[in-house]
Amino acid sequence: MNCLQAEENFSAYLEDALDYQTLQRFESHIAECATCRREYARFSESVKASQQLPQIEPSPYFIPTLQQRLAAEQRGTLSFWQRLLHIFNMPKWALSGIMVLFFITATVTFLYHDDFFNRETPLPNEQMSTPRTGLSSESPSINNQFLPSASGTSDFPGTISTQPMQKHYTLKRVSYTTASTGGGL
Amino acid sequence: MLELDDELMQRFQKGDEDAFNLLARRHQQSLINFIARFTGDKDNAEDLAQETFIRMYKAADRYKPGRAQFKTWMYLIAKRLCINEIRNRGRRNRFRVDNIATNDKTYRENDEQIDIIATAPADAAFQPEVALERKELRNAIQKAIAELPEQYRFPLILRDIQGLSYDEIGKILELRSGTTKSRINRARLMLKDKLKPFMELL
Repeated sequence: MNCLQAEENFSAYLEDALDYQTLQRFESHIAECATCRREYARFSESVKASQQLPQIEPSPYFIPTLQQRLAAEQRGTLSFWQRLLHIFNMPKWALSGIMVLFFITATVTFLYHDDFFNRETPLPNEQMSTPRTGLSSESPSINNQFLPSASGTSDFPGTISTQPMQKHYTLKRVSYTTASTGGGL
Repeated sequence: MLELDDELMQRFQKGDEDAFNLLARRHQQSLINFIARFTGDKDNAEDLAQETFIRMYKAADRYKPGRAQFKTWMYLIAKRLCINEIRNRGRRNRFRVDNIATNDKTYRENDEQIDIIATAPADAAFQPEVALERKELRNAIQKAIAELPEQYRFPLILRDIQGLSYDEIGKILELRSGTTKSRINRARLMLKDKLKPFMELL
């Protein structure tokens, strides 16, 4: 075995992977050749040193960041219906919370909406059929900009007026705050 | 019998997201180390490791448990990403051989000295000079590895730092067993030559 052949077997010798014959030839060469002996010593030291390099620790944010990125990837691949169905995969407490919040919002909206308590009772049919053309001095003043004209046509160009709608507008626009009524009916 | 990694992959394929998280936890450190050693860029290693896991996540359906080892598959994807990263870096014309060992040297040397002193054991036998020399040697090894040609760097890192078998390395690098062994031996010889100036420290 010459020096070049010996060098080719450095790793196998270090890892104890040489067959018996090659091992004999390698060891006899190393015993005779001082250069190969020195080079092998350096070789094994450098391998040992590289194997002992300290491990790099992952940052504590690695997994949370990865999970966020994976979640974003998953959202990107889901169809609309899959995303909709995904709502039902939420934890039960989250779903219950959303439902409770929804009912509270709906109740509050329902109770405090202006139209609910302030809605006027519908007028009898005979009154509704005739448009209101004059008001007594005791009546509250009417902001009549939306009142129907006497001819029965709408004040808004391009719109078709109907009697019930006109009555509705008339009642809605009653002002209770003029000086003549003193702020009351 | 399936390995734990394969079993976790099977569970993930059936819809268990936690199984994939567990896989990521199991392999995060080895993957980050592999990428950092190969690219010589510790800062970017985590990004590339995450990209590797995302690619695995997306391609999970194509993984066949038992046919290929999970680790082999992971390193194969990471290797491709590393090669792309190095090419892109070359295109951007701002090649950094190593931000672990060479760049902003003075700044980091000061930091390292503070680190070594701060983390030193309260032992009378502790010698800061020796610790600094060891640190210098570690940096030199890292730099020498980063300077190896790509075809030698991969097998050396996989063998000596990641501790993979020759068979596994052969599968990842798509090399025959004999070629894998000779490349690793050649890489170690090159590393030995590069570390010659530091041999008295060894």
